[in-house]
Amino acid sequence: MNNYTIAENLKSPIAIITERGAVAWRNHAFAQQFGTDAQQWLKEGVRAVAGESGWLQGFFVSDDEQRTVDVEIEGRTYRVERILAVADYGEPAVALWFEDVTAQREMEQAKSDFTSMIVHDLRGPLSGIQGTLEFVLSQEGSKIDSVYTDLLQEAQRESERMMALINELLDFSKIESGNFTVESEPIRMAGILKRAVRSLQSVASRDEIFLLTAHGRDVPQIVGSVEKLTQAIINLISNSLKFTPKGGLISVGAQIVRNGESPEAIVVTVTDSGMGIKAAEIQQIWEKYKQTRNKSLRGGGGTGLGLYIVKQIVEAHGGEVTVASIEGVGTSMVVRLPVKRAA
Amino acid sequence: MSSVRTPSAPPAPPIPEWSRLVGDALKQYGAWHTYGKLMEARAAYPNDLSLRGYTEIIRNTIVRDFMSHPKGMQMVPKLSAEFLTNFDRFNLSAQEGYLVSLIDGRLDLQKLLILSPFDQFTTLFNLAKLQHERAITIPQ
Repeated sequence: MNNYTIAENLKSPIAIITERGAVAWRNHAFAQQFGTDAQQWLKEGVRAVAGESGWLQGFFVSDDEQRTVDVEIEGRTYRVERILAVADYGEPAVALWFEDVTAQREMEQAKSDFTSMIVHDLRGPLSGIQGTLEFVLSQEGSKIDSVYTDLLQEAQRESERMMALINELLDFSKIESGNFTVESEPIRMAGILKRAVRSLQSVASRDEIFLLTAHGRDVPQIVGSVEKLTQAIINLISNSLKFTPKGGLISVGAQIVRNGESPEAIVVTVTDSGMGIKAAEIQQIWEKYKQTRNKSLRGGGGTGLGLYIVKQIVEAHGGEVTVASIEGVGTSMVVRLPVKRAA
Repeated sequence: MSSVRTPSAPPAPPIPEWSRLVGDALKQYGAWHTYGKLMEARAAYPNDLSLRGYTEIIRNTIVRDFMSHPKGMQMVPKLSAEFLTNFDRFNLSAQEGYLVSLIDGRLDLQKLLILSPFDQFTTLFNLAKLQHERAITIPQ
């Protein structure tokens, strides 16, 4: 039984498609699924629309050997995967595997829409509760007993935590639904770091943790989204706050990576003197819903989405993230962002 | 059906297991020795992003140890007798030199942090380095 016979009898549609969109070979499943109409939509896949190459062209121009794309074919969604490049047909060709993922994508979309709706419905009332608590606690000369003040402050802290969780879920649903875009505005990274540190300084003081900035004023401008990068840094600091004991230290730094004279990238580090991460878990922390087995010292476990969101934001800016950790000594989250000039 | 394979890239040099190496060095030789070794390693592995993280963990440890003085932010650094009699021996950086100029034996850490033109962490790290090199002393 040769390779062709095996491929011929597989239940999934497989075909060898040339660069011009011609079917050079197909298996039974492909013929059954798409009949003789395949030529039509394959031609569409070759055509560039609004300067962007067609989905089929992408398999020929990309160096990514494991490239996969979702393609709408005759009202259904197929995940198309390149198996290998083929050289026997007089012009470049690729062997493609088609998997019908319509039901799966519909379910994901429904889940994302539902999360988005729930999150919006929760945020409104919670904002009202926070506003009321803030107003009551800000009244000078208030006759509220100190016991009640403590309870109100506790309620305020918990509502802040709940809001942070809801915001994480909202960002996650945006990422999952593909509605996650990054603006291209020139931004001062030093300002973002200062703002992020300032917003969490009161939380750090309350938990008796030193939260210090560790960067000069000469951090170069980059291009991106102020709001999203601020949120990424806040997520990193919040994560460190959860795992740093009383009397601990968190430093937020920025270093410039130069290529000759000109700055090439900014490396942001958020470093804590917390309990560290086990070596076996270190690479999993950026995955969604992943949390280390080390119990958080405060604030509960969270959604397990904070660091996943950081990774998505940083990668959307063309950057990368990594982590360094020594058990019992501390952890440093490292973010590298390229310095790009505004167009 | 024949496939076109791209030639495989030459194997990358193995990246050391930094977590274990740095952790062991810290236990055996202390934070300052480990910091020196990490700075050497950074020259050898300039593109290793995690190495910057390990360096920051050690710098953080140094600053936290410095701040754990019983008097905390009220500690008052003083120039050491050795520094006052033999300051040529000390090879100070520009930042360290500036900080030394602020130390008068009366200003506590909190005031030094306000007067320092550098960020708080850099100021504390440089003061810890001055203490390690015995240019300053901090009475209990």
